[in-house]
Amino acid sequence: MEMTDKILVSGTLFVLDKTLNALAAVFPDFKEELLKKDNLTVQLKLRDNSYGRCFTFKNGKVTGRTGIFNSATVVMVFEDWRIAREVVALIRNQMDFVNAAKQGQLALHGPDEDAQWFAALLLKVFTAPLLSTGLYGTKMKNGEMRYVNGTNGGPVFVYVKDGKIVRMTPIDFDETDADTWTITARGKKFSPPRRTTLAPHAMAQKGMVYSPKRILYPMKRVDFDVNGERNYENRGVSGYERISWDEALDIVCSEMVRVRKEYGPGTIFGSHGSHHTWGNVGYYLSCLKRFFNVIGATTCLHNPDSWEGFCWGAVHHYGGSTRNGGVEPYNTVEDCMQNAEMIVFWSSDPESTSGVYAAQEGTIRRNWIKDLGIEVVHIDPYLNSTASFLGGRWISPRPATDTPLALAIAYTWITEGLYDKDYVATRTYGFDVWKKYLLGEDDGVPKSPEWQEAITGVEARVVRALAREWGSKKTYLAAGGIPAFGSACRTAFGTEWARAMVCLLAMQGWGKPGINFGGLQYGTPLDSRFHFPGYADGGFSGDCVTSGAMVSTYNRVPQTPSLNSVRQQIPRLRLPEAIMNRELDAFHVHDVHSVTGQFQTAKYPAPGFNPVKMYYKYGGSHIGTQSNTSRFAQMYRCDSLQFVVNQSIWFEGECKFADVILPACTNFERWDVGEMSSSGGYIDRTYLQNNHRVIFVQHKCIEPLGESKSDFDIFYDVCCRLGLGQVFCEGNSLYDWVVRYYNGTDMPKVMPWAKFIQKGYYVVPPLPENRRDEVAYRWFVEGGKKNSPELTPLPSEYAGRYAEGLQTQTGLFEFECNTLKRFDPNDEERLPICTYIPSFEGRETTELYAKYPLQMISPHAKFSFHTMGDGKEGYINEIEEHRIKIDGYYYWVFRMNADDAAARGLKQHDLVEVFNDRGYVICALDITNRLPSGTVHSYESCADYDPLGEPGVSTDRAGCVNILTPERMITKHAHGLAVNSCLVEVRKWDGQVRTWEPMKSTYKGDKEVKA
Amino acid sequence: MSKFHIVVDLAKCVGCHTCIMACKDEHCGNCWLPYTDEQRREDEKWIRIKRVERGNYPHAQVHYLPSICNHCDNAACIKAYPDVFFKREDGIVMMDPVKAKGRPEIKDACPFGAIDWNEDLQVAQKCTGCAHLLDDGWKEPRCVQVCPLRALRIVKCDDGDFEKLAMVKGLEPLHGAGAKPRVVYKNLHLYKNVYVCGAVETTGKDGLKTCAKGVQVELCKGDEVVATTVTDMFGDFYFDKLDKNSGEYIVKVGGQTLKATVGAECADVGLITL
Repeated sequence: MEMTDKILVSGTLFVLDKTLNALAAVFPDFKEELLKKDNLTVQLKLRDNSYGRCFTFKNGKVTGRTGIFNSATVVMVFEDWRIAREVVALIRNQMDFVNAAKQGQLALHGPDEDAQWFAALLLKVFTAPLLSTGLYGTKMKNGEMRYVNGTNGGPVFVYVKDGKIVRMTPIDFDETDADTWTITARGKKFSPPRRTTLAPHAMAQKGMVYSPKRILYPMKRVDFDVNGERNYENRGVSGYERISWDEALDIVCSEMVRVRKEYGPGTIFGSHGSHHTWGNVGYYLSCLKRFFNVIGATTCLHNPDSWEGFCWGAVHHYGGSTRNGGVEPYNTVEDCMQNAEMIVFWSSDPESTSGVYAAQEGTIRRNWIKDLGIEVVHIDPYLNSTASFLGGRWISPRPATDTPLALAIAYTWITEGLYDKDYVATRTYGFDVWKKYLLGEDDGVPKSPEWQEAITGVEARVVRALAREWGSKKTYLAAGGIPAFGSACRTAFGTEWARAMVCLLAMQGWGKPGINFGGLQYGTPLDSRFHFPGYADGGFSGDCVTSGAMVSTYNRVPQTPSLNSVRQQIPRLRLPEAIMNRELDAFHVHDVHSVTGQFQTAKYPAPGFNPVKMYYKYGGSHIGTQSNTSRFAQMYRCDSLQFVVNQSIWFEGECKFADVILPACTNFERWDVGEMSSSGGYIDRTYLQNNHRVIFVQHKCIEPLGESKSDFDIFYDVCCRLGLGQVFCEGNSLYDWVVRYYNGTDMPKVMPWAKFIQKGYYVVPPLPENRRDEVAYRWFVEGGKKNSPELTPLPSEYAGRYAEGLQTQTGLFEFECNTLKRFDPNDEERLPICTYIPSFEGRETTELYAKYPLQMISPHAKFSFHTMGDGKEGYINEIEEHRIKIDGYYYWVFRMNADDAAARGLKQHDLVEVFNDRGYVICALDITNRLPSGTVHSYESCADYDPLGEPGVSTDRAGCVNILTPERMITKHAHGLAVNSCLVEVRKWDGQVRTWEPMKSTYKGDKEVKA
Repeated sequence: MSKFHIVVDLAKCVGCHTCIMACKDEHCGNCWLPYTDEQRREDEKWIRIKRVERGNYPHAQVHYLPSICNHCDNAACIKAYPDVFFKREDGIVMMDPVKAKGRPEIKDACPFGAIDWNEDLQVAQKCTGCAHLLDDGWKEPRCVQVCPLRALRIVKCDDGDFEKLAMVKGLEPLHGAGAKPRVVYKNLHLYKNVYVCGAVETTGKDGLKTCAKGVQVELCKGDEVVATTVTDMFGDFYFDKLDKNSGEYIVKVGGQTLKATVGAECADVGLITL
């Protein structure tokens, strides 16, 4: 064997220099690559020096010599002939390569830039022919190239000419693409059209790529001197000057080393927004995770900001912890179409939120509701887009009072015998305890429709009618958009609403035909077995602990592991206090591996750590998306953060508070790979919202604009300066990682890379009808083993036999939650049974209500995807339901009823000042019949922040309504927001700028130990 | 010959505004001369969406009305500026971007407001039906291609056949038929008509107020019964497709009569207790 290895290795290396020169002669790109190194010598050798070959790169030429030469700058060392053969072989097994590196059988020495350049060059031998000749994408007859890419709202064809994006469109399938499915229901056949759909923000992506707000070169705050005056107090005020990448990276890297050396590990704090680009490899749960891992950052603990009530409430009744309390979706679309007689959309607006990521795929199916003759009811303070599209009764409870309405439904079912007594008797636990509460046997207050009327404002007869219809019809419940989510789960004690939702469904026989969660948004009859992970499945992070990689890519994408050794986190909703006070009391962590994981607490600083000193911020969305967010602006303006670097695509929001700004490019300017609306991870099989599974290459469509770079390349550049280049990227470029990732999925079995990269997408054929997934929770109804195609709950979560029953102590649906009984049976903010807890901000808080008599809800935005697509002088600004241009400025829209407007003397499109004790926000008024009197509405997620005076303490006119929302947690033992319990007042804006007092730091200068 | 028609269905427009985004994607930053010059990023839309609200809580409805250049066969713009506007064989009304330069008054040639003035390029502009794409083999304009339910739908057929289709499907123009628009609407009553609505309750055996489901309700104009309906599960009833400002109606239910006056808005007679 060794003889074969010897011949192969020495032969391959003998021709290597000739091969490189030949490639350079044919491909100008490759020649340019060789020209990058002037007089670089690379030695390849066995560790015992028994064989070596040396290559010198000079003037774009390579010369090779056999032997050992001590003058080499870069040295690649192989343990023996076998390892050398495995690494240099033309067709290399990636696992052999990774194993050799992990075992120390392969080493690469020398300066990172040179070593990485050489390693990448070897890979380019294979990729150069494809990339240099542009043998990817589809050439159109008019000379345009058609590429493929992905967005938060559907994949796109990208037409490019002369290095510029001409247009983007949805994907119309061709005749070679897989066929689609048919659902037969009520004597009719239903199939979706053979194309993908796009969300409005996805269709506006070209405008985002070419936005005037793009950051095109590195910048430094003008009055920031890393070696002198830093002028922290001017963050958000002083302007920026252009600097070189070298200068920017020098500052960033020297600060990283300084704070770690002076203050110890974990003093670099890293955080990111939830969404800004798309792709499984270049996105935050891949690339950024690996980066933060290798530098050892204190990370930001994200609250589950779309799930809140489900995560901190509903899980205790039935499980679903890995989905943050969201439910299984399998084949519920077919079941709903065939068996349901009614759908109740409760705080559910998939027409605005696309479920999540899923463009307008569900719209196609909901349009069938009328043909199917299914009745619909909508419960939402706001006449949302799903309600306006589908029609059906609109019930508008006062914000944050959905729970009493739900309790009255359960009460009616009990008193009128309209629930599934057999199911409750055999498949549930603790019903009698809840029943007592509902009937008022404990507190003397029956939770009747009449009782709830005073709280919710919904007439008792309407609630009774709904309860009776629901109790006598097979009913699907769309609780939130996918389901799970919904703005009702982000109210004060929205935990109780999410709990009520699962309890109501359990009373009706959750899992029986026609009785399940869903609004035709999630659970299409697609192939849920074909393996292609989602963006939250870890990408190339190598991190099996904090991503879905353990389930999805571990064992499949060979890579060196990566793990953050810093066990310090800061909870996002308390970040401002953590920074300003340099400490936090115990906060709840969010460990989804078990239901009880959420009871764990941590402190900041963690034992043995100093408070963070440097902030590495990726994107800038907190001011638009979190709660009481002027805190986030105030936080920047103190010396607690000695250095702030922001890596962003656009100059917006928090970006303006950085000391140094690093310009990142969009995913249209780099390579990646992804699948339509597939996050994986926390929403396993998210793609079951689609009408087709569409897996795509994300072609690098154009070169990065200006001096911007891919996040991958920026992180790599930083890593190189810390000697971490190889550790970060394993000698691979982003493109190489995309290929490695593809090789770890089921894709190579159905479409070779050359075809995939040329065509750009693959449609996974749906399973034949007789192999469709069983309907979600049918196994539970039948008392069998869980047979859903997923690995969770973890085996250790079962008290009885594995996979039998739900993720609860009894294995049954628990009306009385054993987890909560064990944790704190007397926690009045979350009792073992679901109860009504009056809101901490609402009509109940009479003093505050007298001052601020309007209840504001701020659901997820309709036209932008969170902050993605908003502002930035993009096309979405032109949608008058998103922003209204008044006197040349695009104001955020604030909605109210005509009576409320008239009472304040307000007219359509008046500039209004929306305010409470937390601050003042200027919006444009839209008077609408979509709200009853007393409730007002404005979407969350303004992308920009535009304080008219001192940042953090003055009127904002960009439209960050979250400046007004309460920072109090949804329930005390949770890290979750309750932004839809918010009282405000509104008046015509007089043009004055108001100011308010900033938070006071409680820091007494005693928390830090400096080396 | 096969000609260009667009059918807009108000019942299928979900108000996503993606059509406007597609129009901007195609025309902002792209110059399609000789068809048209670039569209401005701001302040210019060749397709517009108007929100239509009817009624109030709990009987409120919201719909969306898309409108684009009607590509009229009897086009006011062509009559007013025959040197600028012209009709293609397929029915699309085009304008000459060179001759439309520096003439802001052209904007007023369309009685339906379909012409924009591009301040940057100093040129009048409007929807071209994406003629540059159709001529290149595309089947649909961009706004149609991206519409999830094809609330905007292109129909390419002989004018005579289309007229028959319009008759059968009840398609009608948004504005006066005199202009002979090629863009016609389905379910236009959701925009131009109003409804009379209300709710009926009764007292159940348990003495509690309950929604009266399945009760017959009549709508009368004078002595004549113009429509009947039955209350739904919430006791609600609607009489839709009434002309605006059609005056006094009488609602009869369970022996009770209530007056409803229909003006520009819907009339809600409120809760009726039987």
